[in-house]
Amino acid sequence: MDNLIIEATKDSPDIRFDQKNNLLEIKGESFPENAADFYSPVFLWLEKYIEQLTDQDVTVNIELIYFNSSSSKILLDFFDMLDEAADTGKKITINWIYDEDDDESLEFGEEFQEDFNSVRFNMIQKDAAGEQTNAF
Amino acid sequence: MVDNLYAFKKDLGRKGIFFCFSGPISQDLLVEIGATLKQKMKLEEASNSTVIRVFSMVIEKAQNIIHYSAEKIPKDEAEKKEEELRHGIIAVGCENSNYFVMCGNMIRNEEVGKLRSKLVKLQKMNKDDLKKYYKEQRRKDPEESSKGAGLGLIEVAKKAGRPIEFDFKKIDDSFSFFSSKTVI
Repeated sequence: MDNLIIEATKDSPDIRFDQKNNLLEIKGESFPENAADFYSPVFLWLEKYIEQLTDQDVTVNIELIYFNSSSSKILLDFFDMLDEAADTGKKITINWIYDEDDDESLEFGEEFQEDFNSVRFNMIQKDAAGEQTNAF
Repeated sequence: MVDNLYAFKKDLGRKGIFFCFSGPISQDLLVEIGATLKQKMKLEEASNSTVIRVFSMVIEKAQNIIHYSAEKIPKDEAEKKEEELRHGIIAVGCENSNYFVMCGNMIRNEEVGKLRSKLVKLQKMNKDDLKKYYKEQRRKDPEESSKGAGLGLIEVAKKAGRPIEFDFKKIDDSFSFFSSKTVI
């Protein structure tokens, strides 16, 4: 299947889902006017992708500086889908990447981490230079 | 009118308001407003977390106007345009070193009761209650009439430093004006 590439705009994130390398990345800011519409192709792609997965190791990197409340709901649904897939035996790791100064993002990430038991959900802290400083 | 404009600007200044917009609010406009506010606060050396908080409040509140304001330019039936432009007021300011965001828009009188109950409920919650409530609501399916996730107000209440202040003013038999103020 094709990779999914949605270029970032002023109110939506950069989305790069690489099917061959099993690397799914969402980076930037997310506050589109209609989050459900914007993310609908993402869910469609993810569904097909999960179906064809066998024993590959999948990495999902989420690096969002800001996301509005509708996007927060979308993220929950997105993680739900990945968690269900992990439940059926797929090997999926989610990395929540946040800036060391960003308490809000840390909090959001931790709340998501609490919610999901099957999928591996890591918190990755990075400093201003983008270097990883901590992970848990 | 033109000679009163300075008096109007001074009045805004007295209230601590450094940004005020009244009119049709579109997503494009709010993107630029958000970016400009971020720039200004960074120049004033506001902390990164304050900048993001104010920014997110403006986005949530402005998007509430875009989704829910009852004052709108009618759809162009002839051209079958999907879009409508919604009207509202947004004001951002600073008082006693705290940033605040005020918003106002028209709503139908039938909506007042429900919105008022929701706001009163949020006013009574502390940070932990709000976090819990937010998580619970996010798990549910959005209501029929909700255009986003129905979480905007809870998000705003969560980020505010004190309970949301709000007011409803009845305008006529059909509409009221809803205004709110949140302080970071």
